[in-house]
Amino acid sequence: MNAGGWLLFGITWGIIIILSAFCFIKVFSKKELK
Amino acid sequence: MAQNRENWGSRLGVIMAVAGSAIGLGNFLRFPAKAASNGGGAFMIPYLVALFLLGIPLIWIEWTLGRFGGGFGHGTAPGIFHNLLQKNRFIKYFGVIGIFGPLVIFTYYVFIESWTLAYSFFALTGKYSGLADQSGMQSFLRGFQGIEHNQYFNGLGPAYLFFVITFILNIWVVYNGIKGGIERLCKWAMPLLFICGVVLLLRVFTLGAPDPAKPDWNIYNGLGFMWNPDFSALFSAKVWLEASGQIFFTLSVGIGVILTYASYLSKGDDVVLSGLTAASTNGIAEVILGGSIVIPAAFVFFGPVDIQSIAGSGVFNLGFVTMPLVLNKLPLSAIFGFIWFFLLFLAGITSAVSLAQPAVSFLEDEFNISRKKAVAIFGLVTFILCQPAIFFLKNGVVDELDFWGGTFFLVLFAAVETILFVWVFGMDKAWDEIHKGADMTIPRAYKFIIKYITPLFLLAILGAWLWQEWIPVIFLHKVNMADRPFVLATRIGLFVIVSVLVVLIKVAWRKKKFQAERIK
Repeated sequence: MNAGGWLLFGITWGIIIILSAFCFIKVFSKKELK
Repeated sequence: MAQNRENWGSRLGVIMAVAGSAIGLGNFLRFPAKAASNGGGAFMIPYLVALFLLGIPLIWIEWTLGRFGGGFGHGTAPGIFHNLLQKNRFIKYFGVIGIFGPLVIFTYYVFIESWTLAYSFFALTGKYSGLADQSGMQSFLRGFQGIEHNQYFNGLGPAYLFFVITFILNIWVVYNGIKGGIERLCKWAMPLLFICGVVLLLRVFTLGAPDPAKPDWNIYNGLGFMWNPDFSALFSAKVWLEASGQIFFTLSVGIGVILTYASYLSKGDDVVLSGLTAASTNGIAEVILGGSIVIPAAFVFFGPVDIQSIAGSGVFNLGFVTMPLVLNKLPLSAIFGFIWFFLLFLAGITSAVSLAQPAVSFLEDEFNISRKKAVAIFGLVTFILCQPAIFFLKNGVVDELDFWGGTFFLVLFAAVETILFVWVFGMDKAWDEIHKGADMTIPRAYKFIIKYITPLFLLAILGAWLWQEWIPVIFLHKVNMADRPFVLATRIGLFVIVSVLVVLIKVAWRKKKFQAERIK
């Protein structure tokens, strides 16, 4: 894999993982369904 | 209006159910094939743009519309649209697509789901373990599908048996209700799916270069085939369309399923964070698992030349021919083969039950009949409707069903619901409705995106598809002469289904009007 591949691989994985972590941390810290 | 509608049991339950609906075979098979053949890593640029400008806004719109409709006792598009614009008595008929789409997809999706269950069984019992090349495995698949009689299968019997088992499983889950059936299934199936995916991911990442004579056939170059960017692809409109289409299909938007699932929320329940969480869960399954398993593994065993044709060989070929061949070459091949097909089965069943729910909710909500009765009617009708997909697969029936039910009407429905919500219901009211009970505030820029960019994006996709596909599809240019009667019969069948649904909507509303007048 070349440098461009690693860069896009890292950026995409990073965005998805950070977004998921942000969401799940918030979900588990917030209220349940009414 | 149905009294005492069900509710989800927990927040995680509804997130897992929506994520389960979105995560399907496409995450593991369609996405890697599309990415590899449309610029590799460069594909991810239009993909992420479409995720943030099209997918996530649509997710919020559908979750909000569903919760809005649920407040009036409606779980499907006709009732939701009717309450969105009460003055117009025709608006509910636009909602027919929100029941038609999932119903049609269900009629062929269950059959495909049943293949994954069958192949899980075949993997464990070693039925295809002796096969080592593409032609042998393709022959095995065609024999199983009943397309040809060969040394592996002598008819459709085994496929039909697995279809019946799968169909009963799906109906049983839906029969047990939102909380007791769908939520319970998704709460154990989704973690299990991710465990299976991570096991396969680790196995693929530790493949190294299995053939010492071919050191270039290694996992780094496999990942390179998937991720090395070809930036010239960004100048191709086709690549942007493919990426937008992938976002559309992977998130299960435009089908009507999210509307129905969200209708079982209460008025004050958050939809912003829950919707985003379901979308990001789908992203993990697609980009991290889907993008790292099939194509890199196939590269390692088939090399840089054959992978070109494999990547473009279609979803079924990747899943049911290439992957079992790859896994056959590993130690413990039966176990890894089982894990692969069981992962696909879990992805399939959590999607299939969501496809069943809109029609069941429609019967419950609009005809005020019990869930058990609604599921029985649904089961009987869809069992009959599934038969053409099973017996006439080779004649292009599934492709035709997939074009109308699973492609064209999805984009049309998303365009209709977005325009209704943003432009007819009104952006200010829509923004307030989205934020009711919200656990996070959507960045203000999204007010502009949802109002202008998302509808334009949808109209561009719809326009481009019509431009490219309209003439060849309508005049059957891509269908050979022998299959044309089957495709035409399928079209007539679809027209009959739409007509019946329109009549049912008319009957339901007339019945309600009559009951309201009697009460007066």
